Amino acid sequence: MNNDFLLLMPMLLVGIGGIGLMIASTYESITHERMAISGMGLFGVAFLFQLGNTVAHPTIPYEQVFNGMLVVSDFTRASGMIILGCGLATCMSAYTYFKQNPFCTSEFYSLIAFSACGMLLLTMAQELISVFIALEIMSLAIYILVGYNRQSQTATEAVLKYLMLGAFAGAFFTMGAALIYGGAGSTKFTEISASISANGYAGNAALIGGSFLVIVAFLFKVAAFPFHAWVTDVYEGASTPITGFMATALKTAVFAVFANFLVLNNGLHEGWINGLFYISILTMFVGNLVAIGQESLKRMLAASGIVHSGYLLIALVAINTEQFTGGVIAYYLAAYSVGTLGIFAALSYLGGEDEKRMNFADFKGLAKVRPYSAAAITIFLLSMAGIPPTAGFMGKFYIITSAISAGQIALAVFGIISSILSMWYYLRLIVNMYFHDAVDTFETDTCHKMAPVCTMVLALCVFAIGLYPIII
Amino acid sequence: MENSATYLMYIPLFPLLGAVIIGLMHVFTCKRPIFEKFYGIIACIGPILSFVLALRVFFNLKGMPEEGRYLIQKAFTWFQVGDLDVAMGFLADPLSSLMLLFVTFIGSLIHIYSIGYMGGEKNYAKFFAYLNLFLGSMLVLVLGDSPVVMFVGWEGVGLCSYLLISFYTTETENVIAGNKAFIVNRIGDLGFVLGMSFLFWAIGAHGFDYMALKANAHHLAPGVALTVCLLLFVGATGKSAQIPLYVWLPDAMAGPTPVSALIHAATMVTAGVYMVARFSFIYAHVPVAGSIVAWVGILTALLAAIFGMFQDDIKKVLAYSTVSQLGYMFAGVGVAAYSAGIFHVFTHAFFKALLFLGAGAVIYAMHHQQNIWKMGGLKKKMPITYYTMVIGALALAGCPFFSGFFSKDEILFMALANGHWGIWLVGVAVAGMTAYYTFRMIFVVFHGEPRDQHAYDHAHEAPLVMTLPLIILAVGALFAGYLNLPAIFGGDQEVTHWLAPVVVEHHPHVSKFVELLAMCASIVAFIIGIRLAWQRFGKGAEEPTFSGFTEFAYHKFYVDELYDSVFVQPYKRIGGAIRNAIEPNVTDAPIKLVSQLYMMVGQAFKVFQVGFVRVYAIYMIVGLSVMSLILSFSLN
Repeated sequence: MNNDFLLLMPMLLVGIGGIGLMIASTYESITHERMAISGMGLFGVAFLFQLGNTVAHPTIPYEQVFNGMLVVSDFTRASGMIILGCGLATCMSAYTYFKQNPFCTSEFYSLIAFSACGMLLLTMAQELISVFIALEIMSLAIYILVGYNRQSQTATEAVLKYLMLGAFAGAFFTMGAALIYGGAGSTKFTEISASISANGYAGNAALIGGSFLVIVAFLFKVAAFPFHAWVTDVYEGASTPITGFMATALKTAVFAVFANFLVLNNGLHEGWINGLFYISILTMFVGNLVAIGQESLKRMLAASGIVHSGYLLIALVAINTEQFTGGVIAYYLAAYSVGTLGIFAALSYLGGEDEKRMNFADFKGLAKVRPYSAAAITIFLLSMAGIPPTAGFMGKFYIITSAISAGQIALAVFGIISSILSMWYYLRLIVNMYFHDAVDTFETDTCHKMAPVCTMVLALCVFAIGLYPIII
Repeated sequence: MENSATYLMYIPLFPLLGAVIIGLMHVFTCKRPIFEKFYGIIACIGPILSFVLALRVFFNLKGMPEEGRYLIQKAFTWFQVGDLDVAMGFLADPLSSLMLLFVTFIGSLIHIYSIGYMGGEKNYAKFFAYLNLFLGSMLVLVLGDSPVVMFVGWEGVGLCSYLLISFYTTETENVIAGNKAFIVNRIGDLGFVLGMSFLFWAIGAHGFDYMALKANAHHLAPGVALTVCLLLFVGATGKSAQIPLYVWLPDAMAGPTPVSALIHAATMVTAGVYMVARFSFIYAHVPVAGSIVAWVGILTALLAAIFGMFQDDIKKVLAYSTVSQLGYMFAGVGVAAYSAGIFHVFTHAFFKALLFLGAGAVIYAMHHQQNIWKMGGLKKKMPITYYTMVIGALALAGCPFFSGFFSKDEILFMALANGHWGIWLVGVAVAGMTAYYTFRMIFVVFHGEPRDQHAYDHAHEAPLVMTLPLIILAVGALFAGYLNLPAIFGGDQEVTHWLAPVVVEHHPHVSKFVELLAMCASIVAFIIGIRLAWQRFGKGAEEPTFSGFTEFAYHKFYVDELYDSVFVQPYKRIGGAIRNAIEPNVTDAPIKLVSQLYMMVGQAFKVFQVGFVRVYAIYMIVGLSVMSLILSFSLN
């Protein structure tokens, strides 16, 4: 088999598998439970394939694939594994979730597969048009998934907002791509880089404007300030497993391409250090401010996602374009994904019918009734807050040390302050769970253990990744 | 290397491993109890194995040339910061091997005894886990090759002491006693840490284990050396219950009796003496520090002996006698008679452990009655306990040819020989008082008529598992003294010679006549003490009432109350003031203000999240515009 295809195999598997699932869903005899299992199998196989690929073929960084349109490096592979893992966990959560929220149709899982396919393509894209196509493949599927509950007003509202604002961002991106093409004469990253090296970056207005618009589009997708406003409403409206999927897999994919774009040339990265510096600080603090005021857990998690984007922006500021490995970013993404997915998996089964439990107040006294679930949620929250020995702590630690070694002491300090502030809303849920008497009985459909199992596995992962940071 | 040994680390490791295993077993079986002797037997394995290894260490050392008599093992690098490179290292030299031998030997015996004594108690397994943990920590303390490793053991034994004093947690008093011991020990530990830090600051740059320190000790400036000595001695006063920190030890008798025997008589409390002997290479250069140590020691001996004469709790009598004997040991190491001090540690471990275990057997027989005025006439009921305890008492009182006599006399003689005649005089007086209160206890408990007929009728001899250790220890109490027989009796002071390569001491030549005279003085004091005790208590006596000085002494000179009103209460009041006045107003207020401010801004930001998509779009456009403005300005 051609080496190029081997490297792309996980993406192809997921894409073809998605089509297969779509065809299978036309048969009425196939229930959505079986589809969920097939979805898990698909993601599991793709994940193992990616893992095997990484272990068996330790490639040189930036091996060009498909004539330089795509690239495969350890960073893209790690991102790909995170995305596939997210897909697997989402299928598991969804399995239990749809036992209590019966609006599922079988196509749900094929849409997850399609969006994952787009995300995988996005991580590897090395050419502006490929990036755009990947973004759209991913986004189209996500739009449908967000509005999947057609009976729900909030879901419909969410998809409307996301679609409209997403269209905005898409327009910026296209405009930016056009300007870059005008400035550099190519859409391939390598050739843009060569052009910048030859002619310089600072004086080229088309390049500056183009990269500005492209970066704005990325900032929109990762919900960085000032393009974060949509995120709370959309996350609240989407069904819980999908919110988890968006918060983790989508962010991973966009940050991967964001990092790949920034490192394509040193001049480009340096030109953006100042801008990203302020954006990352504002993103962290605005995210915290938004999160503090929330009553709904999903909105709080959405806002905390903004803060985590801020941290990742620190890592982007601090990357060294000469020796980029992406280890810090990939590790943080993995740590963040495990924590966030874990909470959403727990919410998927604890939320109950029609997501009746979604506010801070609804979880009072959870620890007394369901101690294991409460402990797992506490682990995830502590990981997100960055308490040792969890994965979140190590992630923050790496980001802050990378900022310091890049000379960005101020960013490191702001990062630490922000992480202290974030304790407010993470600990608030812990306090609610442990220091109040239970008013709710927290009955759930207990015969489907898929989401609880997923939660417990992820809770173990928090420690496993935290104690053995293998990805770096 | 011929001086390296790979088995040293196993000596503390066996009991520590036992502690872990029993602890885990306790956790998993506390709901479904298993046969309880099982825990005890497992607990005994570790100490016995350690004892065997200690013997091996001893004979290995014996086979070496005198000057190079040490074994060393660097198990692993523990941490490394700047100049400080601390290995988890173990050092066995003549000093530590002597300590090793009796710690593991007596430790094993007390483990065996505890199988009987603790029978039927709640948390049986927990007790043995703690006891094993204690022994492991004590062995780390003894074997540590640097002050830092020693400190690990030092803290470990402190923790175990606390846990075991408060072992019967159902009574508040026990918990308070445990707290008291722990807090008082912490004050001492502060001294130890400060002393250690000073030492490192002064000469630590060329290695911080004992070998390197000893080699560099002559670089110490006299002032620094004095400071280090005194700070380390503060640590020793805490752990070894000397003035002014002795107050915790009598209260520590709240723990089970085997604990009192092992921790609060035989081993842990002697750690301070061991430490001073360990640092003899510094103390030897600072005679002033030595004198302070010696005087504090002998005054403690005097004070505790006075208190001991008026106690009515059998364990309290023994506790004060321990404090008093520790005072002797410090007097010994203070006058630079390190081998004499350590030898007294060695003999004391035997007879004091024996006395405590005997007292434990009595308490066991009397159903946890500890007041000696409720006992009497037990000689007939408990013959083995009686005879073994009498041997212990004779050794403690310094009866000629018992172990305590040789060691105590050696200390007093060395004090006299080095010109500290004041210490010698007090020491002789204390010897008389020791004989008095020891035999007061023996006579009241075992002679005369029963004072509580009911309890007497139910009293019985302890089981073999308890009497066997008594007998073994009695043999030790009888003959341990002959290991260091002075020349005057035809001996050649083997212990002194054994320790000679490690401790820095010199033996002044004093005429045989003075030595004999000193010995006679001690013997006379002993005879007077025991005769007075016989006159007052030999034929049975009623519980005395105290008045005047005796009442003052009965209440221990109100030292506890004094400490309470001078230190504890003001400290509590300061703490209360900080909590009630400073904390809410000075430190909390700004923090609360910040958090409230933040919350207000958070609420304000919520306003932007109105939910209208048009607002979000405008938001984006405004943000984009501002960003492009900044960008275009930055380009110009």
